[in-house]
Amino acid sequence: MTMHILPKAGLCRLTDELAERYALYGPVRREVSGEVVFDLVSDPSEISLDAPIPNTPPKSVVFPQAERIMSFSFDRETKSASIERDDLSVSKALVGLRACDLNGLLCLDRFFLGQEYVDEVYLDHRKRMFIVSNTCVHPFPQCFCVCTDSGPAATEGFDLDLTDIGDDYLVLTGSPKGEELVRKLGLAEAPAAQAALRAKAVDASVCLFDDQAKDNKAWISRAVNRITTGFIPYEVWEYIGHQCFECGACSFVCPTCSCFNIEDVAAGEGRTGRMRAWDSCSFEGYSRMAGDHNPRKPVEDRRNKRFFCKLSFSQSKKYLRPGCVGCGRCVRVCPGDIGLPNVVTYIRRETIKQVPSE
Amino acid sequence: MNETRANAIVTVPAVAVIDEVKDEIEDVKTFYFSFEDEAAGKAFRVRSGQFIMCTVFGAGEFAVSLPFSPEDDRPHLSVRQVGKVTCALHELGPGDKIGVRGPFGNGFPFDEIKGKNIIYVAGGIGLIPLRSSIVHVLQHRGDFGRILLLYGARSSKELMFRYMIDQWKKIEGFETYFTIDNPEPGWNDRVGFVHTLIGPAAVPVKDTVAIVCGPPVMFNAVIKELREAGLKDDAIISTLERHMKCGIGKCQHCAIGRTLVCTDGPVYTYKQIKTLGEHI
Repeated sequence: MTMHILPKAGLCRLTDELAERYALYGPVRREVSGEVVFDLVSDPSEISLDAPIPNTPPKSVVFPQAERIMSFSFDRETKSASIERDDLSVSKALVGLRACDLNGLLCLDRFFLGQEYVDEVYLDHRKRMFIVSNTCVHPFPQCFCVCTDSGPAATEGFDLDLTDIGDDYLVLTGSPKGEELVRKLGLAEAPAAQAALRAKAVDASVCLFDDQAKDNKAWISRAVNRITTGFIPYEVWEYIGHQCFECGACSFVCPTCSCFNIEDVAAGEGRTGRMRAWDSCSFEGYSRMAGDHNPRKPVEDRRNKRFFCKLSFSQSKKYLRPGCVGCGRCVRVCPGDIGLPNVVTYIRRETIKQVPSE
Repeated sequence: MNETRANAIVTVPAVAVIDEVKDEIEDVKTFYFSFEDEAAGKAFRVRSGQFIMCTVFGAGEFAVSLPFSPEDDRPHLSVRQVGKVTCALHELGPGDKIGVRGPFGNGFPFDEIKGKNIIYVAGGIGLIPLRSSIVHVLQHRGDFGRILLLYGARSSKELMFRYMIDQWKKIEGFETYFTIDNPEPGWNDRVGFVHTLIGPAAVPVKDTVAIVCGPPVMFNAVIKELREAGLKDDAIISTLERHMKCGIGKCQHCAIGRTLVCTDGPVYTYKQIKTLGEHI
């Protein structure tokens, strides 16, 4: 790991260089709505590193909302069948990833690639990727990454990491690929005094997290403990379940939610396409089987599974960290006010109630 | 990772040909199949109790248990038409083709149950996934003690594989007990739910495992009865069914508490099932 200086005006040299070899993705401010999204850019200058955390995580880059993964045909006349896998591998560069989102991506990596089977579709998207992360020098209103150990700065998984120190970015290399690019761009090594500014910027950022994040800080680990041991009264899940609209928005904006559905649909010319699309455990049809048996019919049964997935130890073993990265998007999109911090609050409230009074 | 997992067809299905279709009970047919590509057929080795993901071209893919023994048995599926994809499968005949991914899942323990008495308890088409284990165990008859099949269905017409059970009965020490839910003209055997067979069968308890498969309501009654008879929770084994989309532990539809039925299951002991933290 080496630290270098990149003048802000020189950022386009970095992005232009990456655009030569990769399809370029980054946070973009939409012109009319002002909405910030993480998306493919046609012009590297569209990427805005100052923009607030994008409304959607970069999940869709490695795990698109809906995509065709293969197609087949079967002709009953001639009895000939053919199956063709779609080529989904494109070299991609992700620039300006926030630490929470990078940690979310690493969760997906460990889940899709690190378990018993490798998910070949995910691997197609993920291989040949260049990642430039971006330190959050100040938090955004809904953020609580300090509570989930996933920010405000990245610690692993990047090729290059940028920290805004005023007129310049500090560029930290994280891989041989990153080193190579820094050499190619001829970036000067940062003097020790300047290199120390990254840690300073991170500390300053941590101090800016609002009270809500601080309030929940100690309690996320307690909630992990409670959820893992099943030590949460069913009434708490019922309470949460009653607030759930079953819209699935939390799953869709979550950097680590990765449930998917598979559906075969007509693709024209007698072929059938196999589509893979996001799914959510909050949907009633999620666990319903042919013949209508549904083991998870009540909404609270389904709802608590999402929080189990985010915060239980058994799931953490798959991600090698809690399944929540503290991006706060579920807080913003949930119409029922049961984003993850509130769930932790309800668990906390119930737990305090259980303490016997003397 | 055991050998069958290392060889599994993970993402792109292999094409298989339906060689023969046999009518079983109403709405249930057996499809004998072989792989179009001989090498894929050779590499396709299974454990009893595993399952595959079966693609019906143009309709979709579904998870289905494998009823054939890992040794000396013709590959086939026995499927009830219930939903969109299984109904489409029932439209197919000899020469038609399907896609196969797998095999997936852990399968029934075979080496662990060697030397023991085995009680198979099945309800309705719950006999299909047990068939692979029954045939495999009978192929190694000398390695096991008493082998009992306790089998119940709603009516006599819904008892599966009766012609096959008649063959198995010729094997020494294979005991069968049947029941149907309601009396019927011409039915001289027992009437009642399948858990009521546990008493009359005088099931062994020592060095015994029970392997149970059937609808959830039957499962709970059978477990209660077996435990009362004295079987320990880890001597009761079942194979569970869940909605599945991928078979490889990624889509998460088959999650039960902390486990995924596709990769951790589908075979669990009752001791494990109790700790899953969800209804089965």
